[in-house]
Amino acid sequence: MLQHFDPTKDYGTPASLSETLVTLEIDGVEVTVPEGTSVMRAAALHDINIPKLCASDNLEAFGSCRLCAVQIDGRRGLPASCTTPAEAGMKVTTQNGKLAKLRRNIMELYISDHPLDCLTCPANGDCELQDMAGAVGLREVRYGFDGENHLDAEKDHSNPYFSFDASKCIVCSRCVRACEEVQGTFALTIEGRGFDSKVAAGQGGDFMDSDCVSCGACVQACPTSTLMEKSVIDAGQPEHSIVTTCAYCGVGCSFEAEMKGDQVIRMVPYKGGDANHGHSCVKGRFAFGYATHSDRIKHPMIRDSIDQPWREVSWEEAIAFAARRLKEVQAQYGRESIGGITSSRCTNEETYLVQKLVRAGFKNNNTDTCARVCHSPTGFGLKATLGESAGTQTFDSVMQSDVIIVIGANPTDAHPVFGSLMRKRLREGAELIVVDPRKIDLLKTPHLKDAQHLPLRPGTNVAMINALAHVIVTEGLEDKAFIADRCDDKAYQAWREFILDARHAPENVEAITGVPADKVRRAARTYATAPNGAIYYGLGVTEHSQGSSMVMGIANLALATGNIGREGVGVNPLRGQNNVQGSCDMGSFPHELPGYQHVSDDTARARFEQVWGVKLDDEPGLRIPNMFDSAIAGTFKALYVQGEDIAQSDPNTHHVESALKSLDCLIVQDIFLNETAKFAHVLLPGSSFLEKNGTFTNAERRINRVRKVMPALAGKEDWEVTQDLANALGYPMNYGHPSEIMDEIASLTPSFTGVSYDKLEELGSIQWPCNDQYPDGMPTMHVEDFPIGRGQFAITEYVASEERTNRRFPLLLTTGRILSQYNVGAQTRRTDNQVWHDEDVLEVHPSDAELRGIKDGDWLGISSRAGQTVLRARISERMLPGVVYTTFHHPGSGANVITTDSSDWATNCPEYKVTAVQVEKVSQPSEWQQNFRAFEKLQHQLLKGDAATLTDGNGAG
Amino acid sequence: MNQLDTLIHMANQIADNNSHYGTQEEAAARVASHLTKFWARSMKQQIIDYLHSDGSKLNPLAQIAIAQMQSSIRPEPADLCG
Ligand code: SF4
Ligand code: SF4
Ligand code: SF4
Ligand code: FES
Repeated sequence: MLQHFDPTKDYGTPASLSETLVTLEIDGVEVTVPEGTSVMRAAALHDINIPKLCASDNLEAFGSCRLCAVQIDGRRGLPASCTTPAEAGMKVTTQNGKLAKLRRNIMELYISDHPLDCLTCPANGDCELQDMAGAVGLREVRYGFDGENHLDAEKDHSNPYFSFDASKCIVCSRCVRACEEVQGTFALTIEGRGFDSKVAAGQGGDFMDSDCVSCGACVQACPTSTLMEKSVIDAGQPEHSIVTTCAYCGVGCSFEAEMKGDQVIRMVPYKGGDANHGHSCVKGRFAFGYATHSDRIKHPMIRDSIDQPWREVSWEEAIAFAARRLKEVQAQYGRESIGGITSSRCTNEETYLVQKLVRAGFKNNNTDTCARVCHSPTGFGLKATLGESAGTQTFDSVMQSDVIIVIGANPTDAHPVFGSLMRKRLREGAELIVVDPRKIDLLKTPHLKDAQHLPLRPGTNVAMINALAHVIVTEGLEDKAFIADRCDDKAYQAWREFILDARHAPENVEAITGVPADKVRRAARTYATAPNGAIYYGLGVTEHSQGSSMVMGIANLALATGNIGREGVGVNPLRGQNNVQGSCDMGSFPHELPGYQHVSDDTARARFEQVWGVKLDDEPGLRIPNMFDSAIAGTFKALYVQGEDIAQSDPNTHHVESALKSLDCLIVQDIFLNETAKFAHVLLPGSSFLEKNGTFTNAERRINRVRKVMPALAGKEDWEVTQDLANALGYPMNYGHPSEIMDEIASLTPSFTGVSYDKLEELGSIQWPCNDQYPDGMPTMHVEDFPIGRGQFAITEYVASEERTNRRFPLLLTTGRILSQYNVGAQTRRTDNQVWHDEDVLEVHPSDAELRGIKDGDWLGISSRAGQTVLRARISERMLPGVVYTTFHHPGSGANVITTDSSDWATNCPEYKVTAVQVEKVSQPSEWQQNFRAFEKLQHQLLKGDAATLTDGNGAG
Repeated sequence: MNQLDTLIHMANQIADNNSHYGTQEEAAARVASHLTKFWARSMKQQIIDYLHSDGSKLNPLAQIAIAQMQSSIRPEPADLCG
């Protein structure tokens, strides 16, 4: 039953999803609610608000405070309304003298052990205890503070973002339940009994020493100021709020930015957000301080060469300089010698504008985006098999899954809010199969059924997926009806013949993957026989030389078992950055116009030509790696990069740096002097997500509004800068607001024709396609058919990666992310999230460490065919022997100095997940790191316009 | 790797990953269509030139595919120049 609720109101207990309705009477009002609804919620739905303290509608009812007592005709005593289900014919009274007296007595007891410093308490004005004291009419407290009390309890300030003041705690256990039920971490407990009971983090230590991941769910749940954001303690209560979307990861959580003037006081996850339903992770909730960090670039800057100091200039001068340089380069080296890179961190509207500037203003198709290095194989593989370059489900769909396969993804760290939802489903009994070289945290979910882990060797995904498919086909576990109804028969027969070959049998693949055949067989059976089997995957699938083959292999598996086209199943890419889906949708790739329309499609191109008023090139342009190669070859000379840090995030840093140094004109638009900007000639200040209007599209195709909550620090939103540059180049753009850009997108993109800002206001969010056929969008894809008619099985032969171990490089390096840092770290490194991860380390298996005499904390030199860097060692059993692991959040770590040019055959997505390396103990940073430090120092001096550095500084190496 | 070597490597890799699609002719058609769809004009021209001048580092499937792809390359639209 679909119910619409006011997201700002707390109804006390969660909604019941029952289809059966019951009718009862509350305070003489007849109310009808789904069976299983609590009396408290039934009342609240009809604006009868029963006092409560321990209940909250994102937590199961607990029944400890008794403040919500009601009287029910024919029942003895005064039952708690939060734990009493509404029943047909019930007659409930929520207010009378007896109830009032009981509630006053309860409040009196609470208050008698509570400091009466309301006027100076940080929660003043936002305290449920205070509200309830008012609601029950508490006027006196008969018990003094002389007896035993908790007023001197110790405070815990260890977490950088919130503090715990136990003297204010009423032991309602909302925090404990939020940590368990909402977040799934189980970091908190109630210790002791009766009067002695108290909230404890972990084994009685402080929050930082516990398992706490700082999601803040407990802080949000706490009705008092016991758990409180430090930003509120420092700045006081916010006075207004604006709903917007997190700019960190592909979950796309909605938040209320709670403001005081134009200062963000706190970010509170928005209960009306369809992706997150009021939950968040540490990044979105707490790590917003980077937006006002002193490192922000506030003025446009230019220089003639990268060893010159930067010169602060006006916007007009910077834009004119950039336009002149671009035109000069094009005049000298030809139309195709320049290009642009869009960003998955920017809005849809901004991304659309950059690719439009390239195609219409630069008159070529040399546009690409950072999805090149993460999910380009998803676009390729899903389009080839299912006909649409996008995940098939909503996040909530996982709550209907019986078996969940997670391949090459680490949701609890990289997509934390979805990770929590998945854990909730796993606690309910769904089965988990993890295909990953590493023992990810999901495998350590509390109350998990016996999970299956297939710890395969990095680079052998396709062999594994083929083996799983082989078992399904040879054991007759296919969904024959689905295949006959929905799939292309010729492609299916060809695939069937291919996959039946004995070379794909788990017993024969064992030598490649290192995973015992019986484990593979068991996993295949578990998935194929589940009523609902869902597959979730991440960069551990795409960032391989066979990334695209693996995506198609996953689609094969879903098609073969009929796990497509309803809730609980599907193929779900977990997108890394906030707007990866959007940047791909918006035509960032060199071969596709917005909406994945190929540039050679004459009809589509003609529509764009008409609206854009120019002739468009009908051949694809260069991809990022091809741009680099052409730059080194001397044919590609100028690049406009919006909000991307290709120097840090792209593989083989030596190669990237020499490409960037070969450019005559590099224009970087970013909020910080990022690594790429150090090679730039024009630096245009970017705006953070708090400073602009627009939309992001999350991993479930959900278009969410980004709303401006403060003025742009340097005076312009990013789309305005692109527009100015276009105009300076002589290609006119005249948008007054991003909504006008969205209108243009809708007019040119068949899957977006129904999208507008008005509709987004009305619906909150929209999952595309949204058009005449699906006016409110489409939560689950491929229900009746595929955009290409029938599902296409693909032949996915396993081709071993060229990155192989040998005597010189005997170990395999694989890379990943951690919770507290985001991507290249430019934002999170400028927040207190640093306390969790202030350097990248190399995880080494104990047996590899012992062989090399390595101890925890030793400096390790890591060398590959591409380069060398130095990181500190951490001994860890999360990977198999022979595999080492690191993250790439800190530029000075140079993780990409060692990653190589090896890339996906179809899309050139780099093979970040497999690099053959050697590791040895060393005593100093690598040569690259020493050069990096010198270059960084020089560039920071040049930023200050310090010409003196020119005489004594060099180090540009 | 220089630019041409990269292109040769890419073409071979695409061929290797499509070699199990039916007959050699069917596989070549897939590879050719992939190159047509995803490679920039300048990249196509370079690999075609290489096929004609030497071609020895290309595997047989890639060679057939590049020859096929050659016929589908569109000339640069005149009104884009300048
Ligand atoms: S911040 Fe999150 S993880 Fe930490 S104790 Fe609170 S709810 Fe649990
Ligand atoms: S810390 Fe807050 S939420 Fe937790 S038990 Fe105490 S008052 Fe309740
Ligand atoms: S899960 Fe992702 S979108 Fe949600 S708050 Fe965390 S980083 Fe932001
Ligand atoms: S709110 Fe019902 S017992 Fe606390």
